[in-house]
This record gives sequence, structure tokens and C-alpha cells, in this order.
Amino acid sequence: MGSMHEPSVIVCPACDLAHRFTAAPASGRRQCVRCRAPLQRRENASIDTALAFAVCALVLLVLSNAYPLVAMQVNGSSRDTTLIGAALGFYAQGFESLAALVFTTTVVAPLLQIVTLLYVLIPVRQRRRAFGEITVLRLLMRVRTWNFMEVFMLGAIVALVRLSNFAHIAPGIALWSCGLLMLCLSALSALTSPEQLWRWVERSRE
Amino acid sequence: MTRPATGRSLGLLVCLDCRATVRGVQAAHLRCPRCHAALHERKPHSLALTAVLVASAAVLYIPANLLPVMITRTIFDDEPDTIMSGVLVLLHSGSWPIALLVFIASIVVPLLKILALGVLLYTAWRGSPRRRLQRSELYRMVEFIGRWSMLDIYAVSLLATLVQVQSFASVIVGWGAWAFAAVVVLTLLAARTFDERLLWDTPQHD
Repeated sequence: MGSMHEPSVIVCPACDLAHRFTAAPASGRRQCVRCRAPLQRRENASIDTALAFAVCALVLLVLSNAYPLVAMQVNGSSRDTTLIGAALGFYAQGFESLAALVFTTTVVAPLLQIVTLLYVLIPVRQRRRAFGEITVLRLLMRVRTWNFMEVFMLGAIVALVRLSNFAHIAPGIALWSCGLLMLCLSALSALTSPEQLWRWVERSRE
Repeated sequence: MTRPATGRSLGLLVCLDCRATVRGVQAAHLRCPRCHAALHERKPHSLALTAVLVASAAVLYIPANLLPVMITRTIFDDEPDTIMSGVLVLLHSGSWPIALLVFIASIVVPLLKILALGVLLYTAWRGSPRRRLQRSELYRMVEFIGRWSMLDIYAVSLLATLVQVQSFASVIVGWGAWAFAAVVVLTLLAARTFDERLLWDTPQHD
């Protein structure tokens, strides 16, 4: 092995300043003394809490795609769309790249964030290791920065305001489940910082 | 003045994926012992990659604002909407908080992001010692607000999906939406390729 783990020092990822290692704070977070970037976050979340949020988010994601987001009634005819349907609107008009972007940031990234977390954490809870654990964890870290659920919610509100001027708009079940999904995913990201995830994984190997 | 101890001066690397501190050795392709991500003292080709991405975003910012993002086709006429005219539509329909929100997210934020990244790039390239903390905080702000510009893309995707009413009105996606999404994605990538530690590096005198 050409390198080793050096746990006695913490290097700030934002400005490279070296700090002496201390136990992670019980609440709040420790900041870099030079650039004020977060250095250490609390690492005492329960693995069961994270799993509960992940299962909850998975159910909400299924609901968001199974039920209509909004229904529009105009001139006696009615149209509705689901979360996936919003991406397909671009596809139907020949803008495949835009469809891929919307699909990735509102369906694929949230789904992967939830599924990879469950895949790694369920075995960790039973002190076992999932196949390809390290690769899957790395995928999780990268994929969750592309989850734009909260931006989508605001965009949906803007679209509804514009439509409400000339059509009757009925919010669907999926609009509410999308809102809850957004909250669930933010809670999940806050609970599972990289430091926290690796602490769970390393403790399960002891 | 004594030089502060940094990861670089101590020969330590921090893994940006899992935050492990690793003792660096002279190796061409160093990998994190914990999560197997590629380790670099600084992100490779950070300034060049960021410069290319920001320059492309700046060029595309022009068609993104001049070309229509969507065209509303009714039996009477075709009405093209640019980002700015979309804001005005919202303003005239009486929902000024939403109009202000879209104005900030779609017009102010992308422009400020391009300018801020330009300033960060230039000062990092010059190795400027001035206002390091402020520039570090500027970078973190750019990173945080970047995703919110996607708002208009989501709004257009929903409008284009829902408003397809035969003999009444339909919404056609315009190339402005493509250019706008490209600006957002390019600036998001630019913020990720930029290594904020370059703002803090001091020239080495050995």
C-alpha cells in the first residue's frame, strides 16, 4: 500500500490548513479557523433514523411518479402530468438533452441517492458488507449533488402561477408527495455526511 | 511571519470524496485508502478547465437571454417568450413575488455567477493575497446558489407538457431554453472544477 490513513490531523478541504484532530462535536459543527468552511460535523446520528428517512423517501418517490403532479382543465378538456411526464414533455418536442437533464435531476439522482444508501446501510446495520460497498458509497457521494428536487418544486409553483391565469389548475397527490420527498431528501443528506457514513461503515468492520 | 501548517507543507492530502486525511507519497496515481477515489494535491488542471467552462457559459448567456425559451401557439398567433418577457408576464398577472424570484434566479444569478467565477479565476491565477476570506465565501455562495437557476427550465418543462390543448393553445420549447440550461450546467461544472484551495496557496520559497 502506497499510502496510509492519518487520523491525528484534519486538513481543511477548502483551504488546506491543517488542524489537530479532536472528537467530532456533539452538536453543530467545527469550522476551519482560517476560511470558516465546515471542518467536522456531528457524527452521532442513528443508522436507524437514516434508514427510516430513506424508506420514507422511496415510498414518496414512487407516489410522485405514480400519481399526477397537476391537472389542468381548459375548454372542457383536461390534461395532467406526473413527475416523469415533465421530462417527457421536452423529449416529445425533440429536446432530448433537456429531457435527460430534467429526468436526471428529478428522478434518477433522488432514486440513486435512496437506493445506494439502503444498499450499503442495511448490511452495515447487521455488521455485514454489501458487495461493492466502497464503489457504491462513492457513487452516492457524487450522485446526490445532482438532486435538484427543491428547485423543481419552486419551478412547479412558477408554472402553476403562470397557468392559473387562463386555466383551472388542480394540484395532484404527487405535488404534495414531491414536497415531502424534498424535505425527506434534505434530512437524509444532512444525516449522512461523508464523515458519518464512513464512521458507520468503519464501526461495522471492527 | 511564520507560515501556517497546511496539508501541502506537512505532506498530507485530503480526500474530497470521503474526507480522509492521507499521508501523500510520491506516486503517479494515488488513490484514497478508504474510498479508493483518485487523490490529488489540487484538482488537476483546475484553472484551465474552469476558464473554458466559464467562457463557454458567458458566450451562451447571450442566446439564452435573446432567444425565446418557449413559444405559446394559439389559433390567433405565435407568442414567443424570452426569460425576461416571462418575468414581465408574471409581473403583469399580479404575482410580483414570483416575478422577483424568477428574475433573481434566472437573470441575476447566472450573470453574477459568471462574473464571480471570472474574478475568482483571475485572482487565483495571479495568486493574489488580498481578501482571501471574502473570496472563499464568494466561492461557497456561487456553489450554493448555482442549482436554483434551473427553476425556469423546470417551469418550461411543465408548461410544455401540460399546455398541449388541441385548437386552444400549445407551448413549444424554444432554443433559448437549451442555451439557458447549458449556461446553468456549464457554471455548475465550472464551480466544481475550481479548486478553492488555490485562493489560499502561497508561493513556495524553499
